[in-house]
Amino acid sequence: MTLIEPYNNEVLARFAKPIHAGDVEADYDSVLGADAKQAADGARIRLSAGIDAGRVVVLRFRAWGCPHLIAAADALCEEASGKMLEELAGWKAGALAERLAVPRSKAGLMFLLEDALRSIVAQSAQTE
Amino acid sequence: MPTDSVYLDYAATTPLDPAVALAMQRCAGEAGVLANASSIHREGRRAAVLVDDARQLLAELLNTDPGRLIWTSGATESDNLAIQGAARFRAHRGRHLVTMPTEHKAVLESFRALENEGFEVTWLRPGRDGRLDVAELEQVLREDTQLVSIMHVNNETGVIQDIEAIGALCRERDVLFHTDAAQSVGKLAVDLGSLPVDLLSLTAHKFYGPQGVGALYIADRPGCHVQPLMHGGGQEQRLRPGTLPVALIVGAGAAARMALQHREADMAHVTALRDRLWAGLAALDGVTRNGDTAHCYPGILNVGAEGVEGESLMLGLEPVCAASGSACNSLAGEPSFVLRALGRSDTEAQSAVRFSLGRMSTEKEVDIAIERYRWALEHLRSIAASP
Repeated sequence: MTLIEPYNNEVLARFAKPIHAGDVEADYDSVLGADAKQAADGARIRLSAGIDAGRVVVLRFRAWGCPHLIAAADALCEEASGKMLEELAGWKAGALAERLAVPRSKAGLMFLLEDALRSIVAQSAQTE
Repeated sequence: MPTDSVYLDYAATTPLDPAVALAMQRCAGEAGVLANASSIHREGRRAAVLVDDARQLLAELLNTDPGRLIWTSGATESDNLAIQGAARFRAHRGRHLVTMPTEHKAVLESFRALENEGFEVTWLRPGRDGRLDVAELEQVLREDTQLVSIMHVNNETGVIQDIEAIGALCRERDVLFHTDAAQSVGKLAVDLGSLPVDLLSLTAHKFYGPQGVGALYIADRPGCHVQPLMHGGGQEQRLRPGTLPVALIVGAGAAARMALQHREADMAHVTALRDRLWAGLAALDGVTRNGDTAHCYPGILNVGAEGVEGESLMLGLEPVCAASGSACNSLAGEPSFVLRALGRSDTEAQSAVRFSLGRMSTEKEVDIAIERYRWALEHLRSIAASP
C-alpha cells in the first residue's frame, strides 16, 4: 500500500534536523535581523544574518509554523549563506516551494521568507 | 496497520475486534448469507434473521426494545435523520430548536440546514469546562420548542453531558431530546430503559465494529417520530430505505455483544492508561488539559501546549497516530471549533492534540506517546520565533 504523504523527503529531513535554526552571534561586520508574520494563522519567521563586506556569511532562522515553513526556512539559510546581498535582493521562493512540494494553500507562508530576506537586504543598504 | 505505528486515535475509529471480524467473515463467506434481507425466499429470510439477531444484541447493550432501533450507515446519518426528521415531523407544532456549538459537525450542519428552512435555533454555549448548564437550557425552552440535541460524550474533549437531567427537563416540557452517543455507546453504560432519551445516534466503528453501519434509536412515545430523509424501499419501518448491509450489521451486533462483555474491563483499562499518559504529559512544561476532568470519558485526553504549532506538533509525534482537533476537522486545517467554544484562543486550539485510548492500547504505546510528545515540544520550542 502506498500512502499519500503530505511532506517530501527533504521536508521531513529538514524538519527533523534543521541545522540552520538559531541566531547569529555578533562575530561579523554587521548582524542584521528581520521578522515576518502571517496574521491569519500566526505563522512567523525570524532571519538573522552575519554579514562581512556585503556578503551573507551565515544566515540563521527561527520559525513558528508548519513543517513546510520550517523546512523552507532551513533551505533558504543554506542557499543564502555565502551569497552577496545584491544577489539576494530579488530572491523569490517559487523554486524552493516547488522543490519542497509546498501546497498552494500555503503559498502565503513562502512570502514570509521573501519579506524577511528583503528586509535584511534593505537594512544592509541603509547601514552602508 | 504498520507495526511501527502507535495508534491512539480510538475516538476517530476503533480497530475491528477479531471476534467481530470473524463473525463478518462467516456471514460474507461461502457458507454465509447470499440474499437480500428483504427477500421473502428462504435465503432472504435467513439474512433477515441475522439482521434481527444483531438488532437484538444491540438492544441488549442499550437495554431497549429491538423494535426501536433503525439501522443506518452510521452516526452522521442517524444525526441527520433524528434532527431533520424530528424537526420536520413536529414543525406544525413549532419551529424552535436548541443545540450547542460543541456538537459534532453532523449535528451542527443539520441544524444549519433547518435554519435555512426557517427553523429558529438557539445555540447554547458551554462553560469553560465544556458542560452545559441545565438551568440555562431551562431558560431558553419555549412553548414552540420541539427538539433539543446535546451529545453524550464530546468527541474532542471526552466531556460527558448530564443527559439524564437534560432529558428529564425535556420530558417535563414535552420537547424531544436527541443525543449523539457515538462516543459513549459500547463504552459507558447507556441504559435506554431508564434514561429519558427520545432519539439516540450511534455507530458501530466507535466500539470495535465495522465502519459503515450505525443505528438510530427512536423512543416509543407519543409525538416521538421522524420524517424519512430518503425514499425508496420500505426497509427499517419505512424510515430508512435501502438494502441492508447484512455482514456489516452482523458485525455491529457482534461488537455490541463484545461491548457488553468487556465494557467494565475496558473502562478500567483506559482509565489506567489515561492516568499514565496524563501523568507523563503533565510533567512537561506548559502542557494543559482541555475540558472538564471530573466529568470526562477516560478514553479521551485532549491536551494543549504553549509555543508550538499544531501541524508541526503532529508531525513531530509520528509514529504516534493521534488527532489534531477532531478528525473531521483536521483535514480542513482549522483550529478546533469545539475548543474555541470552550474559550480557547485560535493559537491554543490549534496546538491541541487528542489522544484516545481503547481496548487494544498498551502501556508501552502510552510511554512512546509521552516520549514523542516531549521530543516534539522541545524540538519545536528550540527553533520557535517569539511572538
